[in-house]
Amino acid sequence: MSGKLLSIKGLRIHDRAGNRLVDGVSLELYDDEFVGIVGESGSGKSLTARALLHAVPSGLSVHYDEYEVFNQQIASLADQKKRELIGKKIGFVPQNTIAFLHPFLKVKQQIGDGYQYHFKKGKHESLKKAKELLKKVGIQDPERVLNAYPFELSGGMKQRVQIASALMTDPELIIADEPTTALDTVHQRQVMNLFSDLNQKEQIPILFISHDLHIIRKYCQRVYVMHNGKIVESGPTEKVFTHPEHEYTKTLIASTLFLTETGTVQ
Amino acid sequence: MIRYIIKRLFSGLVVLFIVSFITFYILSIIPGDTALMRLGTEATPELVAQLRASMGLDLPWYERYIHWIGAFLRGDWGESLVFGEDVFTLILQRLPVTITLAALSLLIAIPIATIMGVVSAIYQNRWIDYVARTLMQIGEAVPQFWLALIFLVVFAGQLGWFPVAGYVPFEEGMLDSLHSLLLPAIVISFGLIGILIRIIRSSMLTALQQDFMLMPKVNGLPGKTAIFKYAFRSALIAPVTTVMMQLAGLLTGTVLVESIFALPGIGRLLLVAVEQRDILLLQGLVMFITATVVLINFLADILYRFINPLIRLGGEESA
Repeated sequence: MSGKLLSIKGLRIHDRAGNRLVDGVSLELYDDEFVGIVGESGSGKSLTARALLHAVPSGLSVHYDEYEVFNQQIASLADQKKRELIGKKIGFVPQNTIAFLHPFLKVKQQIGDGYQYHFKKGKHESLKKAKELLKKVGIQDPERVLNAYPFELSGGMKQRVQIASALMTDPELIIADEPTTALDTVHQRQVMNLFSDLNQKEQIPILFISHDLHIIRKYCQRVYVMHNGKIVESGPTEKVFTHPEHEYTKTLIASTLFLTETGTVQ
Repeated sequence: MIRYIIKRLFSGLVVLFIVSFITFYILSIIPGDTALMRLGTEATPELVAQLRASMGLDLPWYERYIHWIGAFLRGDWGESLVFGEDVFTLILQRLPVTITLAALSLLIAIPIATIMGVVSAIYQNRWIDYVARTLMQIGEAVPQFWLALIFLVVFAGQLGWFPVAGYVPFEEGMLDSLHSLLLPAIVISFGLIGILIRIIRSSMLTALQQDFMLMPKVNGLPGKTAIFKYAFRSALIAPVTTVMMQLAGLLTGTVLVESIFALPGIGRLLLVAVEQRDILLLQGLVMFITATVVLINFLADILYRFINPLIRLGGEESA
């Protein structure tokens, strides 16, 4: 843990009716970390991620006391600067549903958009980079994938494409929102190993949102537990899992079986 | 793709055949004697009977249908009673007016409606959206004949910007020809703008809510890339359908506008054929109109395939 990369204090998100969907969330992320946010559906974890990306769905209002990324106060930046800072330096990997890739565009028509815009590069260079990254995320035939429409790719493939897409701008931080939810266990492990490699070999910090306690426990160094729009507990993963303090965390952990290293159920 | 085209063309032919059959039957049972109309009420019954026999009108309708369709397929669409000319030639003569009028109307309507529709979707419930929605309702609600008359009085009569009526053929100068069609085209485009703003606005609103709109946003792309490359692309199908349907309507004649502005187009020809009970002309026009609609539907399906790869690659079925 060295430099602070991202910190948000007092994040609040309301809907039009005035319901608090996220209620005073504060979190931080440091260099090289792999941090998890865990919680059930509707706990506000995805909205928190969207707020960090400045991309909450329309109709919701976002407030925070302070939001700092890469030593810049977001509130003090003009809209375009904000967009450029977040869009370029934070890579986002969404759930692997088909809907996040544009269904009418081939992979090669959309994968390089951010890169071309932020780095002022042409199509040729962006395709070259996309090909390298697709190989890096384990796609054997990048040429075919680039020329495919999203509906022609399997779930695992699509998720690799989205990860490669997030890596296009050489991000200094990756936010992943349930990226393994709809994958089978084999693809899940492959995708998680990819994230793990990015974190350990390339030192890219990762903020990982999931409701899957197994994944969080296996990969994350620190974890935030969210419940009803609030962070109810946080700390080093092993400590939270072995000595949960909050009632909700205790219930959550008690409801899940864990395999220990020796193969016994804990 | 080729199999698909052949299949579609075949089903189009079937439609044409069925329509020709039904039209012929209906025209044969409605009251009114073509021979009598041609000769006038003063004609002797013998003369009428003679003409009926020479026109083949004394035969049962199905025999006449077989005669007619045989000739039709050979390219002989019969002779118009009113004009005394070949039906096919008559239609061909009127076609340039109708095609130019249709093209001009769409050229005016599409850009205006696209801009208004897209902008009003982006700025939903802001003042520009209210302007677009007002324009949309006026365009849809104002009767075409009323608008045509008002425009005639104001722009052609009082201001003298346009000719009051009549059509200048292409051969007498392209600009003059377009000028003579501009006012009627504006009248037609008014209604089109209304319909198109509605459909573009609602398609864009749907597209803007889609999950894939998140990616350009989190990638920090400028709004215009997100809107034109991502949202507009997926919002295209419904407006294209509407434009094609409207085009089919325009190409098969705009009776009111052509009548008010005294334009020799398909619509007026149709009006004359109905009024004068010009059966062969009417039958020919119905065939032309059906063929045009079938062809445009076919073109629309081909267009969908370009817009939506799922239809193109997903199989034979169209949207």
